[in-house]
Amino acid sequence: MAETTHKENKVIDKISSKFKIEGKLQRERRIWVATDKESLIALCNFAKDLGFEHLSAISVTDWPEEGTFELTYHLWSYSEKILLTIKTKIDRTNPTVDSVIPVWEENAQIHERELHELFGVEFKGNEDLAPLFLEDWDGPPPFRKDFDWRESVRHRYYDKANERERAYWD
Amino acid sequence: MNEKELIGTEQIEPITEGETEYDFYFGPAHSGSGNFGVRLKIDGEKVIAARADPGYLHRGFEKLMEYRVPMQNAVLSDRVCILEALNWNLVHAEAVDELTGVEVPQRARYIRVLMAELSRLQSHLIWYGVMSLALGFDTGFKMAFGYRDYILDVFELITGGRVYPAGYICPGGVRKDLPEGYEAKIRRVLDQTEEMMQKMKHFDNVVFARRAKGVGVLNLEDALRLGTTGPVLRACGMKTDVRKDDPYEIYDGLDFDTPTEKEGDAYARCLVRGKEMEESIRIVKQVLDRMPEGKVREPAKIPPPSRVKIPEGEVYVRNELARGEGCIYMRSVGGREPYRVKIRGPDFLHMIPVLEHLLKGAQIADIPAIYWSLNICPADMDR
Repeated sequence: MAETTHKENKVIDKISSKFKIEGKLQRERRIWVATDKESLIALCNFAKDLGFEHLSAISVTDWPEEGTFELTYHLWSYSEKILLTIKTKIDRTNPTVDSVIPVWEENAQIHERELHELFGVEFKGNEDLAPLFLEDWDGPPPFRKDFDWRESVRHRYYDKANERERAYWD
Repeated sequence: MNEKELIGTEQIEPITEGETEYDFYFGPAHSGSGNFGVRLKIDGEKVIAARADPGYLHRGFEKLMEYRVPMQNAVLSDRVCILEALNWNLVHAEAVDELTGVEVPQRARYIRVLMAELSRLQSHLIWYGVMSLALGFDTGFKMAFGYRDYILDVFELITGGRVYPAGYICPGGVRKDLPEGYEAKIRRVLDQTEEMMQKMKHFDNVVFARRAKGVGVLNLEDALRLGTTGPVLRACGMKTDVRKDDPYEIYDGLDFDTPTEKEGDAYARCLVRGKEMEESIRIVKQVLDRMPEGKVREPAKIPPPSRVKIPEGEVYVRNELARGEGCIYMRSVGGREPYRVKIRGPDFLHMIPVLEHLLKGAQIADIPAIYWSLNICPADMDR
């Protein structure tokens, strides 16, 4: 294991010596690091300079009990052939975070636009957060854990006069 | 660009005399575009601004999967992209396997790769068909769809479904072992596909080169900035393939090449896909030669859903699909259903930033050629 994950350990060492954070080696080609919201942009810039030029995806995980949103940035390095995931937690009541457009440009822009629509996260510095998939949607961001889509569909579309629908909903 | 700059269909204003600029809506319900639209601002014959208008196929899979157990999600994962259902089956199954840590039997791994490569072949045939249609070459369209049907016959024989395999590649392996006589059948279909590829080569210079050369040029720098992956990136000269760089299943033991082109135009993308089909056929032949015996699923009998729990953890799985990089981020807190699933489809990038970038400055007549040279699938963008 030690020999096959040599390059991964080197990347972890570089990150932890610069940012004083621990990197986790999951398996060959998979590294996970967690950071705080303040040093996110600096870490992203550092990662891009290390060769992580492809932003594969950005994702949000909702933790309502904890009161946080967890953002994950999945980065791929074409030269090192490693996937680095940067995780950061932000406050759920005031979900704002700096945009990573300065680092990954248009690629980051569209991912952030999607997450703004589905989770309601504000990305500071992203000027185009117009609705993407949902048309005429005025409800809460639908991918949040506390959004009950079944209740929402029942409220919006349940036709009580229709016998078949009654069998489904009641 | 601001959305206000490009107005919607309901607000399209009549063209006034002396003005050369007008709005034009490509899609969303057209056989040549799929369920997807692009709002264009056009001056004369030239596109000056483009804005993608997705959402017609948004089904919310990521949310739906949070309410279902992995065996149900396997069926759901078919629908992520209609045109390559088996490949998405595989991405989902791998994510669950990595979380549960199950040792997938070797025979199942071979069957998975066999099905994924056949699925890539039929997906490229669909692409050839619609690309021909976009170029006004109806013969190519009918031929490609005809030859694709032979591969669908194989899918029907093995999975029971022609387009949707109903979660054939499932967590732990595959649902059923291969039926009797599968090998002869697949080899015959490979011969038929090769026959089609001979015809494709013949038409390349006649139709494709004339309509696609120099159209929709994407340079490597822009391609990386816009998040391009797969054949589109390889057509810009980048030698990258998830099957080689981040190998999964049995790909690191197989012998195949990664074809690339330098020009980055629509024609280069066509050439890359053509060569990729040859590589897929090579892979399928190797898999057939080496197919081991044994179990096809671990555990062999599917336990009742109430007993299956996904161990706590998180994984990010990457696969090479026919269209590019397909990924799933899966997070589990130890429950029966995954806590969060993020699906990353290649066309999310190809259809929004890349398409908008390529259409800017293009001629109206080139829009279909650019559009289909990206081989886009609205289903995996909207999810």
